[in-house]
Amino acid sequence: MRVKRSDIVQNKYLLIGGILTGLFILVALLGQIWTPYSVTQMDPLSTNLAPCLAHPMGTDNFGRDVLSRVMNGCGTTLWVALATVLIGGIVGTVIGALTGYFGGWLDTVLMRICDIILSFPSVLLALLFISLLGTGTDNMILALGILFIPSFARIVRGEVMRCLELDFVRSAKVMGVRPLRLIFVHILPNTLVSLLTTAAIAFNNAVLAEASMSYLGLGLQPPLPSLGRMLSEAQGYLLTAPWYAIAPGVVIVLIILGFSMLSEGLRNWRP
Amino acid sequence: MKRAFAVEHLSIAFQDKNEPLQTVVSDVSFSIGLGKGKSEIVGVVGESGSGKSMTALAAMGLLKDNARVLQGAIWLEEQNLLSLNAKELSRVQGSEMSMIFQEPMTSLNPLMRIGEQVGESLFLHPGHGAKLSKKEIRRQVLKALEEVGLENAERVYRQFPHELSGGQRQRVMIAQAMINQPKLLIADEPTTALDVMVQEQILELLRRLHREKGVSILFISHDLAVIEKICSRVLVMYQGQIVEEGAVSQVLHHPKHEYTRTLVERFPRFIAPPRSKQNVLTLRDVSVFYRERKAERSGAQRREIVHHANLEIREGEILGLVGESGSGKSTLAKAIVGLNPQYEGEILMQPDLQPQMVFQDPFGSLNPAHTIGWILSEPLRIIGIKSAKERKERVLQMLENMGLSKDFYNRYARELSGGQRQRVSIGAALLRDSKLLVADEPVSALDVTVQSQILQLLLEVHRQNGLSILFISHDLNLVRHICHRVAVMYQGEIVEIGDAQEIYRSPKHPYTRRLLQVENMNL
Repeated sequence: MRVKRSDIVQNKYLLIGGILTGLFILVALLGQIWTPYSVTQMDPLSTNLAPCLAHPMGTDNFGRDVLSRVMNGCGTTLWVALATVLIGGIVGTVIGALTGYFGGWLDTVLMRICDIILSFPSVLLALLFISLLGTGTDNMILALGILFIPSFARIVRGEVMRCLELDFVRSAKVMGVRPLRLIFVHILPNTLVSLLTTAAIAFNNAVLAEASMSYLGLGLQPPLPSLGRMLSEAQGYLLTAPWYAIAPGVVIVLIILGFSMLSEGLRNWRP
Repeated sequence: MKRAFAVEHLSIAFQDKNEPLQTVVSDVSFSIGLGKGKSEIVGVVGESGSGKSMTALAAMGLLKDNARVLQGAIWLEEQNLLSLNAKELSRVQGSEMSMIFQEPMTSLNPLMRIGEQVGESLFLHPGHGAKLSKKEIRRQVLKALEEVGLENAERVYRQFPHELSGGQRQRVMIAQAMINQPKLLIADEPTTALDVMVQEQILELLRRLHREKGVSILFISHDLAVIEKICSRVLVMYQGQIVEEGAVSQVLHHPKHEYTRTLVERFPRFIAPPRSKQNVLTLRDVSVFYRERKAERSGAQRREIVHHANLEIREGEILGLVGESGSGKSTLAKAIVGLNPQYEGEILMQPDLQPQMVFQDPFGSLNPAHTIGWILSEPLRIIGIKSAKERKERVLQMLENMGLSKDFYNRYARELSGGQRQRVSIGAALLRDSKLLVADEPVSALDVTVQSQILQLLLEVHRQNGLSILFISHDLNLVRHICHRVAVMYQGEIVEIGDAQEIYRSPKHPYTRRLLQVENMNL
């Protein structure tokens, strides 16, 4: 698919969303190799410092540099979001494509399971999964990933069923293209725009879910930072050191904003 | 007394401001017999810019201001039309010769009722006698409208041009041109703007007028197929000169001039006959069903769409399948190509037949996510050509055969027009080594001019590859044009099957008769 420069400039959502998201990814990557201060090193002499030149976002109750922790926390958030979306996206796409194409009892069974999953609040189900699997980042990723499968499966199933009625798919069938090739090479590329939109929304939900799970102490374990965990730790200091909560909060808002705009832009982007 | 329309050594040139004289007709001479026993239909063929229309316009005094007659004369019997003044010329034009044009849409006055327009020339040139009464004019106009095959002449008389179809307007123009019983009718591409089946009707009308009224016709066209149908003699014009002339059969079948040869080669005028009597596909008692997707799961009721169809397609045959929408023709086609396995009965086909389908809607039939090159390579991948280089070579060759340039290889379907997409679809079917093309209304979604291009491509492909074509259409007139045999479907049954011309001439089933009637009424 060719992207023209003028298309992107015209589509402001895509542009701003793209810039915010790009910035987030850049900071997240940078945070893994370099931060102004060590992420975990405590300094009892400079706890709860207000933002200053040496610490642009201040320090926390252990005297750790908030900026450094936010940068590193972005990495965690990105990794969790990316991994969950990949799990949900790949498994969901395959399930959706197969059920949409073949129909029959397989379709009925899998779609009912999806309905069941979708009918519960996702955080509640994630809590259930984690209480079964145990806490930790990997388990959180697995739990969230499974929760994302139904939304991908539904979208792809609908798109595949739509494409099955189109002449180019009929034409490929008549030509003798085998079902799997038909699904994955002929049909799926045509669902790309819907898939990207769904992925962007899922990414958003993943960021929020990671934040809430870590806030509840079920995700990443201390002392490593994640944006949600930082928010939860800052709770006790809201009145004495508000910047501690503000910094990760604003970053989360910006990330969500970026992805929302990106998905909105993608939805209107018909190449 | 010379009983002829004769052009002698005519040369015409254009002169635009500050530009050199540009000769568009040089030293053209020919004649057409007029009157009883001598009248004839003479064709002038050539591409646009060859000067074929210019001669006619000069005779009618319709040359533009910047055009100049350098030399020569145009005789209508005793009168040199070029020496007449405007008034005298207008008298001749109204009564002794007249002209019909290509575009029936713009050649009629949109604000005048048909009756007034047709009667105007009677009013202006009361022919060969005294002034006619209004009542007499009306009587003659109605008669003229009836003579050109317009049903309900009384109603047409009161109508405005926009209330008529293209074919009807062209008939009105002809009525207008014929009302003073002229000796010569100049027809400048009179059928080019019409679709194929209306074309045929207009040609039939001109032939009849020639036969019954003894009018001579100078028939200008770029279309050899049309010329062949109606003319006895033909002149071939190229770059302002007549390069060849003679009897139509002589010129079209044994062209002498190089230009005529290329012209003839470009037009697949005839449909190649079927290769053999051998059947490539046989349907025995085939009933096709339709199941709702929901019903498919529960295994519940299915609806019978096609009832006990019997049909065979011979090698290299074009078989038309006609019927109105909902008659089951597409359902039957889907069963043949394997898109609908819900059928009973036998579908027997040659093992290497590989029936392929060309769909009606060119905008849905190509995958929007892939390039044309990729789409055309897919059939080659399926038949197992491993080398990417060989695939690309064959695809580029096929693009060229389909009349598309090599640039299309890297384009996406959305960058192509409807006609171009149909070309790609046909090309893909050929690359799949198909011996049977199932074309489901392949031109219905296209513009008239593009329609005939795609039909010509189909006929060309048919002639060169000798493949069989099942041509599905709701349009009996179109099908008759390009098919050897026709099957008519009505409410899921094949009610009539037989030779295309035969069915058109003497339809047996009442539904076929109705179908033909409805189509004629639409003209």
